[in-house]
Amino acid sequence: MNMKAFKTIVLAVIAFGTTAYAVGATKTIELPADGVQLKPSPLPGYAKAQANCVACHSAEYMKYQPPTAARPYWEAMVKRMKLVFKAPIADDDMPAIVDYLAKTYGNEQSK
Amino acid sequence: MNNSTNLLRRRLLATAGLGVLSRTAIAQTVDLPLVNGTRNLVAYPEKRPLIVLTSRPPQLETPFPLFNEGIITPNDAFFVRYHNAGIPTSIDGDKHVIKIGGNAVGKSFELTMANLRTQFKPIEYVAVNQCSGNSRGHFVPRVTGGQLSNGAMGNARWLGVPLKDVLARAELKNTARQVTFNGLDTALFGGGDFVKALDVNHAMDGEVMLAFQMNGADIPMLNGYPVKLIVPGYYGTYWMKHLSEIEVIDQVYDGFWMKPAYRVPDNDCACVEPGTTPSATRPIGRFNVRSFITSVQDGATLRAGQQAVVRGIAFDGGQGIREVAYSTDGGQSWRGAKLGDDIGRYSFREFTFGFTPEKGSHDLRVRAWNRSGQSQPMEALWQPAGYMRNVVESVKVVAA
Repeated sequence: MNMKAFKTIVLAVIAFGTTAYAVGATKTIELPADGVQLKPSPLPGYAKAQANCVACHSAEYMKYQPPTAARPYWEAMVKRMKLVFKAPIADDDMPAIVDYLAKTYGNEQSK
Repeated sequence: MNNSTNLLRRRLLATAGLGVLSRTAIAQTVDLPLVNGTRNLVAYPEKRPLIVLTSRPPQLETPFPLFNEGIITPNDAFFVRYHNAGIPTSIDGDKHVIKIGGNAVGKSFELTMANLRTQFKPIEYVAVNQCSGNSRGHFVPRVTGGQLSNGAMGNARWLGVPLKDVLARAELKNTARQVTFNGLDTALFGGGDFVKALDVNHAMDGEVMLAFQMNGADIPMLNGYPVKLIVPGYYGTYWMKHLSEIEVIDQVYDGFWMKPAYRVPDNDCACVEPGTTPSATRPIGRFNVRSFITSVQDGATLRAGQQAVVRGIAFDGGQGIREVAYSTDGGQSWRGAKLGDDIGRYSFREFTFGFTPEKGSHDLRVRAWNRSGQSQPMEALWQPAGYMRNVVESVKVVAA
């Protein structure tokens, strides 16, 4: 802490007595790396999901869905990412991504 | 579910090589009591190890035994929920600016955090924040979305400035209908920015607060440093983090996060027949009534013939808890639990009861009522988005 910040805090404590507010300063955090990766698969959608989905968010979003999650759910999510969030997913890639997700994380997983 | 010591397993978690982010960490895991419920426990900045629902953006759940340690949830244990991955990681807590404007104000202006702290009279109260989807993982049949157990809630003492006093400077027009809130977090490709709205009468109720302290300290970055909107009694979706923009508008805001997201069936129970779609929806609003046993976990073993003091928490959307009843026989007979100190109608309320189990299995249940007589259903209600679960929970124990 520099002297100026220290003085500011001292002044704030004097001004507000026992209800002293913490005087803000720059707070910086560093986030840990993703704890989960996409599950490798020979399906063509795996590489496309790597390039499109986890560019924006980590793989827990897929991995932790209930195994009952059916294809329409995965399809709706991929469409939402494109239409609502403007993710630059090529239309041609979407069926393969949906197929990978439904077969890897949804109710089309091989038992 | 087994007892909590059996739940924790040390596991080597080698994250894949990602350039400078690459690291190998020893992570613990926890098994939530739901199918596909294994999660990592990781300490994020300013947090103790919490249950990781998602890494990026961070969504963290409080391990449930923590709720037995006190009525206030410590800042480093408080749950975290973000929607978009563009989250701020460095903020100057003095220079941060909140812009106030919109087409229904007479005067637009800006406030720095320094202004906010010094130019208004602060208020303070204790209030529960709870994620709309808290407990979603326990829906039967399962629903998609963030698969949370019961730890996406917390109770803190918030200090800040009434939104009403800030908006008074904006000279609201008669056309004012809703107030929208935006924070510093952004969507990476510009679509689906996280913006929420409250009706203007609600925003002006004198309780909705721009908080800059949480439990007597700065708000942790991941909970919204340096200023967070507090909407007591309402689900956390409205509690905007890193608040940076307030607009008073002459219409009902219908951005993605108000419609179609965060909506519940528009009927008395906010529920539909499992597996069906509601015919009409409304934005999610106040908490319903909930209660939890915190001192005993499902599957625990108690000493037969020895009295145990069972403790728990109850809360609602702001009427305050009037009564908590408990059953030790699966809901066949009920008695009144003893309520703890009342530290505000938006707070967790502690309850306790004595229980001397005979040898064998017991099914403990608690059920709370608020001051307007609302309570909890004995059978879980269902809705497709998995919000607002508040069934009377069952904690099965064995006395030996």
